[in-house]
Amino acid sequence: MNGIGIIKGLLITLKHFFDTYIFDFGRKQKNLTPDDKRGMVNSSGLFTIQYPEEVLAASEEFRVIPFLVYETAENGDHKYRCTSCGICAKVCPTQCIFITRKKDAETGKPIPSPEEFYIDTDKCMNCGFCAEYCPFDAIKMNHDFELATYVRGDTHIYNKEMLGKPVEYYAKIRPVNYALEVAEKAEKAEKATAA
Amino acid sequence: MAEIDLNNPEIDVPAELKQQIAVTTLDRIYNWSRSNSLWPMMFGLACCAIEMICTAASRYDLSRFGMEVMRPSPRQADVMIVSGTVTKKMVPQIVRLYNQMSEPKYVIAMGACASGGGPFKEGYNVVPGVDKFIPVDVYVAGCPPTPQALLHGLIILQKKIEGEHIPDTRWYKKCVVEAIPIPILGPDIIDPRHFELIKEETHKPLPVVEEVVEGGETA
Repeated sequence: MNGIGIIKGLLITLKHFFDTYIFDFGRKQKNLTPDDKRGMVNSSGLFTIQYPEEVLAASEEFRVIPFLVYETAENGDHKYRCTSCGICAKVCPTQCIFITRKKDAETGKPIPSPEEFYIDTDKCMNCGFCAEYCPFDAIKMNHDFELATYVRGDTHIYNKEMLGKPVEYYAKIRPVNYALEVAEKAEKAEKATAA
Repeated sequence: MAEIDLNNPEIDVPAELKQQIAVTTLDRIYNWSRSNSLWPMMFGLACCAIEMICTAASRYDLSRFGMEVMRPSPRQADVMIVSGTVTKKMVPQIVRLYNQMSEPKYVIAMGACASGGGPFKEGYNVVPGVDKFIPVDVYVAGCPPTPQALLHGLIILQKKIEGEHIPDTRWYKKCVVEAIPIPILGPDIIDPRHFELIKEETHKPLPVVEEVVEGGETA
């Protein structure tokens, strides 16, 4: 019969409509975790996200501008994981990554560490290829999207200090990926000791 | 900052009157009312426009900031959201729309393409940033920026408006503000302000050819 599809569709809309109120009524009674806030992935119903006060929880693979992962040494130095191999710069479809390799001041031999690392955010298209191809897990995609500025110029070209983020930050925003990475590294280390 | 200065006009209110009297400046009231009724122009260029539409819809809801009326006419709009890749063919129309907007007018360059050309920066048909042609107030990074990132850009713009001082803003000055000349689509985009110069240069005889001949003779 004609028209059944329309009725089914309207019923779904109606269900969402009531779910919204049921969820809103229920959340007053329960102690909710941040994931159960209105409009989040787990919540039923449709809500307006009250942006400045309430930010939509980003899913793990959400990506904006890349960042460089560093480990903080005991003396407070930032030890970047990046070895300035340049794979990310080669694989970048928009060619927005610029790396200079560090050189030993005395001998002039290259050191596997970046002297300078720039990302032009006006060109970056947030594809995530750099993070995908990096063999050292040194570059990852950030979740921070609040990047609006009044001026362009140099502020849109991020240098190493602006891009650098500690490992703890990475573990916080991408817990599943981080756990996988740690497990993989442990496995490798085990194999190396066995052999 | 500027906002706080505008809030304190440095008039001493006696302690017994503090409950009854509120003192503020004209700047503050004017900016407050203006920043909370920004009407964007309904104008989308590329994929960023989809995010802009999503921002205007009920999930993110621009109307919470007094921006619910997307005007299809530039004469009724306050803020132009340049949402997407600005191609050389589209630039004349964008400048024309900007000129038609009534002052006070603001421009948001949304996304990598509008702010700096984005992935197409070195393309033959894309303008590397709309700020080459019209003054941009806020740049929103991202490709495309999520609705929340655009909202952040709009909030930043509101903060900028709240910090404005009426005599300093360019639309209230005595001098006549010249309309931006509409670029002309050619082999490369031409700015009509440079017509005389271009004419002079193109009407010159070709000195390069002569030089080559002379060089050949001497060699």
